[in-house]
Amino acid sequence: MKNLIPRPCGSLEHAIARRQFMGDFMTGLGALAGTSLFSHPLGASQIAKQNKSVVVVFLDGGISQFESWDPKKDLETGGPFKAIPTTVPGIHISELLPHTASQMHHMALIRSISTDLDDHGLARNLVRSGRMTRSATEYPEIGATIAKGLQRSDFPLPGHIQTSPEGVGGRTNNAAYLGPQYASVVVGAEKGGIVHTQLPDGMSVTVDSRRHDWRRFANGRLKSKVQSAEIDAYTQSYEQALRLMERHELFDIGKEPESVQESYTKTEFGKQLLLARRLVEQEVPFIEVKWDGWDFHHNNFEFHLSYVNHHFDRPFAFFISDLAQRGLLDKTLVVVMTEFGRTPKINAGYGRDHYPKAWSIALAGCGIKHGAVIGSTDAKGIEVTDRKVDHRHLLHTYLRAVGVDSTGEFDVAGRKVPIADPAYGPIEELLA
Amino acid sequence: MTQDPADSPAFDAKATHLIHDWAHDSKLLCCRVDPLGRFVFAGGIDYTIQRWEIATGNKTALIGHDNWVRTLAFSPDGSACFSGGYDGRLIAWEPAATKPVPVRVIDTKHGWLRDLAVSSDGQRLASVGNDRLVKVWSATDGSLLHEFAGHPQITYCVQFVPGAYDLVSGDVVGNIYHWRADTGQLERKFDGSAIHNMIGDIAPFGGIVNMAFSPDRKRLTACGLHKTSNAPAGNRRAVALSFDWNTGEKLPKQESLAKELDATMWRVQYHPSGIMLGVVEKEIGFWKDGQEELFHLVSSPSDIFDFDLHPNQVDYFTAHYDGHVRGWRCAIS
Repeated sequence: MKNLIPRPCGSLEHAIARRQFMGDFMTGLGALAGTSLFSHPLGASQIAKQNKSVVVVFLDGGISQFESWDPKKDLETGGPFKAIPTTVPGIHISELLPHTASQMHHMALIRSISTDLDDHGLARNLVRSGRMTRSATEYPEIGATIAKGLQRSDFPLPGHIQTSPEGVGGRTNNAAYLGPQYASVVVGAEKGGIVHTQLPDGMSVTVDSRRHDWRRFANGRLKSKVQSAEIDAYTQSYEQALRLMERHELFDIGKEPESVQESYTKTEFGKQLLLARRLVEQEVPFIEVKWDGWDFHHNNFEFHLSYVNHHFDRPFAFFISDLAQRGLLDKTLVVVMTEFGRTPKINAGYGRDHYPKAWSIALAGCGIKHGAVIGSTDAKGIEVTDRKVDHRHLLHTYLRAVGVDSTGEFDVAGRKVPIADPAYGPIEELLA
Repeated sequence: MTQDPADSPAFDAKATHLIHDWAHDSKLLCCRVDPLGRFVFAGGIDYTIQRWEIATGNKTALIGHDNWVRTLAFSPDGSACFSGGYDGRLIAWEPAATKPVPVRVIDTKHGWLRDLAVSSDGQRLASVGNDRLVKVWSATDGSLLHEFAGHPQITYCVQFVPGAYDLVSGDVVGNIYHWRADTGQLERKFDGSAIHNMIGDIAPFGGIVNMAFSPDRKRLTACGLHKTSNAPAGNRRAVALSFDWNTGEKLPKQESLAKELDATMWRVQYHPSGIMLGVVEKEIGFWKDGQEELFHLVSSPSDIFDFDLHPNQVDYFTAHYDGHVRGWRCAIS
């Protein structure tokens, strides 16, 4: 799923994807060298908030608010899907989400998000970092910020994990000045757990241990002469990999009873949600389940029928109920995030285009008022009519929901950097 | 009054020109001309059917659906019109009534009802939809006569085999099934997967959008899209894929090669002369028997979602994204 779907639209962002990747990589190294080594952990008050987790389901491309959280009856803009009631009286969502509707008493909706950017890359960065990237400053994504805010110093696993359908990857560059230890590690949701975690044939534990001793010795010797963030990153990656190898069974969704695997559906999305639940049990601070391809300029309704109704609804609803039944939802914030909404206008290809002006997200779990609906849009879904919020309010809200003081600051090489935009605050009426 | 085709000027695709342009205020998804040539009906996303009297352009609304009206069909004698919508309703209308009201409403339980067909003798109706079933109804009393199961995915379209109660149905993953009416058995399968794609392992794209038999009944033509490079962005090409009805042999595809347009062939229809017409975005394409490339393309101002030939055999009508129904004459006026 994640790796198989082509980028849907021919935007500039897609055209420069590879060039940007290389640029990101080098920028990341630069940022790393300049700041992250000197970042300080958050204060003791934050530590008390440990063991909470955030799970972001990121529907990359832009799910339609009309076909999910904010259905409309309007004949020209509403589309062919009707609204259905949920377990919270008065709240209706799209008929594509009948199972999710049965979990609404654990959830909340924000229907009044209004942002400015309609380019995938820029908008994605906006909602994932809660900030507008300036030319001189890249901000960490929410996952890195949460990991830094909630991760215990002795925590054996990565604090920021992104699931994928298969395989395992290195760290990505999304922690900016927080440093690579807070960047996401990609882990595949497969039976058998993380691949390549066994020693090769002929390699004994003793020999392997000697190899690592030699590596540590060489790194230490080099570091005694040269202060380099790259060496730190290199060292950390190895040590992290070793810790993952020791705990690879935690990532093995095949350890789950068959009935549970069936309930999550054995789709790529369902398997990733199941892995996310296992990671929540391990108190991983931030887990992202990223699903690409939600960019339906064409054939919007047929694709939403497949994506939302046939593939999202049932596993997501079971994920919420499973967390609740295991007592994990009280310590887990779940956010169904996307980078913008879709146009009220239905285009000539039965599609909807990018629309940042009025869109929605859904949340569930800890720190929020269950059954709350924040804001509203007009009857056609064109304008926000009540409680307009944007990415800055959202970042404050996510952090506050899991007990991180969003008015705090990072110390970046002696420079105070606010965790979230200090001119804004959380959506107080949403917070529990 | 219907026009005798013998009195009509000769069909000439290259002489096609606009003769009617009627506006509605909502996007139109389907259209059909009644077999007596008096009216053109069009269904829209505003849940209504609009009826235009061809002689005058007078418009009348037919109210009865509670979702997009996706498909229309007529009894061969023009005495009944049938509509199907995403509300799952199959509604029978008296087409020439001053103010038509539903004569009969059937809840097909298809979910979205996507296509309707009427048998050659007018006695049976067939419907398909999201429940993957093919259902056959009595056209006289609305009772359910048969239910054929076997499509693995959403069923898009259905046709009666001309002169018979046998059916062909097509689905979103490219299957075309031939059902025996007498036994309910699956008689044959045609592989239309060449005009089907999967997006990741999640969403089927394309499939058998519509079908038509050639006038000599030797050829079954399915249409839809292919050459998908970026489905969610709409990069695709309109295409028709035909089969020899007797042997099942797959015949060469027919498409627009010289002018590449991002399009789905929403409908294909044969002129009695054997010329094939198909939707290609804002255009109607014309193909000669067996030729891969079209020989003529008629442009219109807006995307076309459906069209239908008039019984005079020289006119056709198109239903558009801009809410218009347009009438075209394939002859020198």
